[in-house]
Amino acid sequence: MNDTPSLEELVEEFSEIDDAMERLELLMDFADEVDELTLDEWSDDNLVRGCQSQAHIVVENREGLVHTRAAADAKIVQGLMGILSVVMNGKSPAFVLSLTPQFAIDMGILNSLTPSRSNGFRTMFDMIQSEVKEKF
Amino acid sequence: MSGDLMAIRDDFPILQREVNGRSLIYFDNAATTQKPKVVIDAMTDYYQSMNANVHRAVHTLAGESTEAYESCRENLRKWFSAEKVIFTSGTTEAINLAAHAWGKHNLNKGDVVLLTEMEHHSDIVPWQMLSREIGVELRYVPVAEDHTLDMELLRASMEGVKLVCFVHTSNVLGARNPVEEIVSISKKHGAKVLIDAAQAVPHSRIDFTSMNIDFLACSAHKMCGPTGIGCLLVSPGTFLEMEPFMGGGDMIETVTLEGSTYQKNEHKFEAGTPKIAEAVGWDAAINWLSKIDLQFEHERLLDMARHTANRLRAIPGMTVFGQHTDGDSAVVSFIHDKVHPEDMARLLDARGIALRTGHHCAQPLMEKLGVNGTLRASFYLYNTQEEVETMLSTIESIVERFS
Repeated sequence: MNDTPSLEELVEEFSEIDDAMERLELLMDFADEVDELTLDEWSDDNLVRGCQSQAHIVVENREGLVHTRAAADAKIVQGLMGILSVVMNGKSPAFVLSLTPQFAIDMGILNSLTPSRSNGFRTMFDMIQSEVKEKF
Repeated sequence: MSGDLMAIRDDFPILQREVNGRSLIYFDNAATTQKPKVVIDAMTDYYQSMNANVHRAVHTLAGESTEAYESCRENLRKWFSAEKVIFTSGTTEAINLAAHAWGKHNLNKGDVVLLTEMEHHSDIVPWQMLSREIGVELRYVPVAEDHTLDMELLRASMEGVKLVCFVHTSNVLGARNPVEEIVSISKKHGAKVLIDAAQAVPHSRIDFTSMNIDFLACSAHKMCGPTGIGCLLVSPGTFLEMEPFMGGGDMIETVTLEGSTYQKNEHKFEAGTPKIAEAVGWDAAINWLSKIDLQFEHERLLDMARHTANRLRAIPGMTVFGQHTDGDSAVVSFIHDKVHPEDMARLLDARGIALRTGHHCAQPLMEKLGVNGTLRASFYLYNTQEEVETMLSTIESIVERFS
């Protein structure tokens, strides 16, 4: 994968894979793209509420650009965080706020974006945008 | 696959679909079962040929829909051997109804409601709310090391208990609790008994009257019926002690500006336009189930659960919960120490295999088991041994590939 692939390139890369398990395998590879929170940084304040796995996210303002740090105990969830990191880190707040979570469906890695107990991705996405609004 | 099983499968249109390019293997039956075509057709036919509101108008459609709606209640009375069948939206509303309509008017501050650590949230939260409202004390029977209820502690916890609420069959462990023994202990201490039978009714015939209990809550959708409808069975004596907690249409006898009088029968607790099409669907589901040998199926499915548990236990790093003894339901909860349950569930879904993952609405039990969640495979009438083998070999290959 490129160092900083665009969102469109990521969507294309994923949607070209026919086999659903291979898509998930590629998603798991993105777990390594996360600027990982250490275990002792996991707290109630940065907990992604409603996620089935233990997932944590913080958003930092690094010289006016967005930087996310995250971690999860489920590899697929951390993979989703990895996608968000690749797409959002180093970008302007305006760019991050312009995104919608639809790309996760376009990639073929999620089948629903409704915030619910089974879908931490939407909660993560909303949490990042809400923190961006707060911190920038 | 036997001819009977093929015939059963043919009744479920959804089993023809593919998920991620594979034939659907549906093992999330403890969450909800699939619906036979007769249920789908009955509901469609109701809307296409007789839709009308029930109990009031004199026109033909209203008469037919009233008959269809009440026919379900009559069918349930026979199916469960119960006199009083109050329709609710499901098990959760049924337990909430018992808490509001009976608990609030018959329990006092300091009275004890005995629950267990094995309960679904539906049988914990309503009582916590009642406790906050009127000050009843909640006491919980612990789950022992072997994942069964600690009956000695149950016996030791009976002082001051006015109501015992427990799950007939655990949605996480599949464990069937010693229902008769718990009822006997409760009655000896003069306590009323409420049973959450959501997971029991799909697998066995329940005889409410001979159980000598006061309340039983269940849902249609776990026994091939539609979502959105369930019932609370109530013993005739306890029924007279209940007061309505929702007011409005269908539950009234007369209304004046000064006050109202209420119906005397189950309608007293069914305010508003009821779930008519859902009742029609549930009626059809009961009729369909009545042709199935549930005892034979129970044993077949429990054998599948035992086989699954044994094969999973042979996988290094796998923990399987539950005993799967006679009478338990066909539910297998498990976790692997390297592959997170959510990862496993998504990977299985990639092969068209539907399992549930998470805390299964039983967080206190998860805490007791020392886990945040499990994977759960739950089997039902249309599931085959071939499907089980496919799931097991897929799990084995996932563990090998991803751990």
